[in-house]
Amino acid sequence: MIMAYADLRDFLAALDRNGQLLRFTDPVPLEPDLGAAARAVSNVTDRGPALLFEDIDGYERARVALNVVGSWPNHALMLGLDKDTSLKEQFFAFARRADAFPVEAERVGTERVGTERADDAPWREHAVETDINLFHLLPLFRLNRYDAGSYIDKAAVVTRDPDDPENFDTQNVGIYRIQVKGTDRLGIQPVPAHDIGIHLRKAEERGENLPIAIAIGNEPVITTIAGMPLAYDESENEMAGAVQGAPYRIARAPLTGMDVPWGAEVVIEGEIIGGVREIEGPFGEFTGFYSGGRRQPVIAVHRVHHRTDPIFEHLYLGRPWAELDYTVALNTSVPLYRQLKQDYPEVVAVNAMYTHGLLGIISVRPRYGGFAKAVGVRAMTTPHGLGYCKVIIVVDDTVDPFNLAQVMWSLSVKFHPAHDLVVLPDLSILPLDPSSEPPGISHKVVLDATTPIAPEQRGHFSQEVDQPAGTQEWENRIKRLLT
Amino acid sequence: MTAPKIPDTCPRCDSHDVSLLTASPVPGRWFMYACGVCFYSWRSTEPGYATDPAAYPAAFKIDPTDIPKMLVVPSIPTRRGGTP
Ligand SMILES: [Zn+2]
Repeated sequence: MIMAYADLRDFLAALDRNGQLLRFTDPVPLEPDLGAAARAVSNVTDRGPALLFEDIDGYERARVALNVVGSWPNHALMLGLDKDTSLKEQFFAFARRADAFPVEAERVGTERVGTERADDAPWREHAVETDINLFHLLPLFRLNRYDAGSYIDKAAVVTRDPDDPENFDTQNVGIYRIQVKGTDRLGIQPVPAHDIGIHLRKAEERGENLPIAIAIGNEPVITTIAGMPLAYDESENEMAGAVQGAPYRIARAPLTGMDVPWGAEVVIEGEIIGGVREIEGPFGEFTGFYSGGRRQPVIAVHRVHHRTDPIFEHLYLGRPWAELDYTVALNTSVPLYRQLKQDYPEVVAVNAMYTHGLLGIISVRPRYGGFAKAVGVRAMTTPHGLGYCKVIIVVDDTVDPFNLAQVMWSLSVKFHPAHDLVVLPDLSILPLDPSSEPPGISHKVVLDATTPIAPEQRGHFSQEVDQPAGTQEWENRIKRLLT
Repeated sequence: MTAPKIPDTCPRCDSHDVSLLTASPVPGRWFMYACGVCFYSWRSTEPGYATDPAAYPAAFKIDPTDIPKMLVVPSIPTRRGGTP
């Protein structure tokens, strides 16, 4: 049985027990220190801790948690694995568990929408409906130097399909950047292709506002799954249950009826105002460049629920690697792997963790000459690939795609520029890719770094150096001596 | 607590529609301001690069007359039944 974390505090305690949490009890200014600290920890190491700040300038008891999943040990602990679990092992564990999808969610509290019957979700402790001031509730701050203001960027954002509001499967849990424009007014970026974009379009076609719930400060699995490319009718709660190995616990937000994480620190309820667009951004993005200066939808906040002294969990993003890159590493690689594997069982593993899969590496056992190129092109036609997969490197099944030294070796000795380069002109890509021209269009390329096989007879690959006999035993022996 | 002196110019778009966004929960630590034109917001304790109109870099400045021309994302669909 895999251990599921009840809430953010439970996970922070697990990080602490494993030496993966740093507490700062000295007073800290909001800007530029909080953003700088979160940037710094990823600069220093890929095995770094979460950061918990307990004395924020201008607040009595506010706390900020940063870099919660921002390292491989923390990612492993999220999955309930030993913190030293290799990335490749984490990938296969994630993929195996995703096969258990769907795992039905555990609903806590049975109240109907609009009623006030209490349930036991900890965020039900306090509710604010008048004089809402999000800046007093949470220590909101500017993350990167030229962000338009304070953002919420790691919340589980929940909406329902206005044409089918009772449907649990099409209820969406996603992560969208949210600019806090006023004390009770937000800007949001709902990409048209994403599920929330579909919900908003339907609401606006109906001439309605779109009810929305925003849950801040969650255990790490739901926010990881919220950023995972799933089909429109696949429930994030049911995937979170599969990945954590236990039903995901949800509670109903009383005003909007949204199913939100039971363990959240804060739940904001409100509406996206239909037909309204207002300037939002720029905001430093995961591409390492700012994006924005576009007119985007606005949220009116109607009610806020929160625990006593809630923890503000926030995520740093910018030039990779930063926390965002850890949170989207395997949640992007695993769906691509599962989709490719359906058509091509020869696919061994997929590493699509570079800039959310703008670059990906596929390890495959080619059946015949040309096969690896076909697998590479197929990645570009998966749902996620339509917006990503600009560069796909295909390597042999004997190469670990998570080991860049092996990938670079394959490229350096197996790749032949005259035969192994496939360029596909003018395909779709996410407009945030700063190289796309016009935004949203780019050539894409497959780099085939597999060994040529029949009927392709070229190169001199028959005398590969293998490992001396007994190498594996020596590896184990040396590992034991080192621990 | 004494009322803050609200800056008269937005560091980003140089407009004069600046208002008090909020004050620190612990009185007197800082104030936040917001621009009603470009929705930029800043804290009184931030470095000059975020608060001083003269120091704000040209690449990130916004001309208020450009705002109505900015891309609308996502676009607003037509209402069902034909009412726009
Ligand atoms: Zn302005």
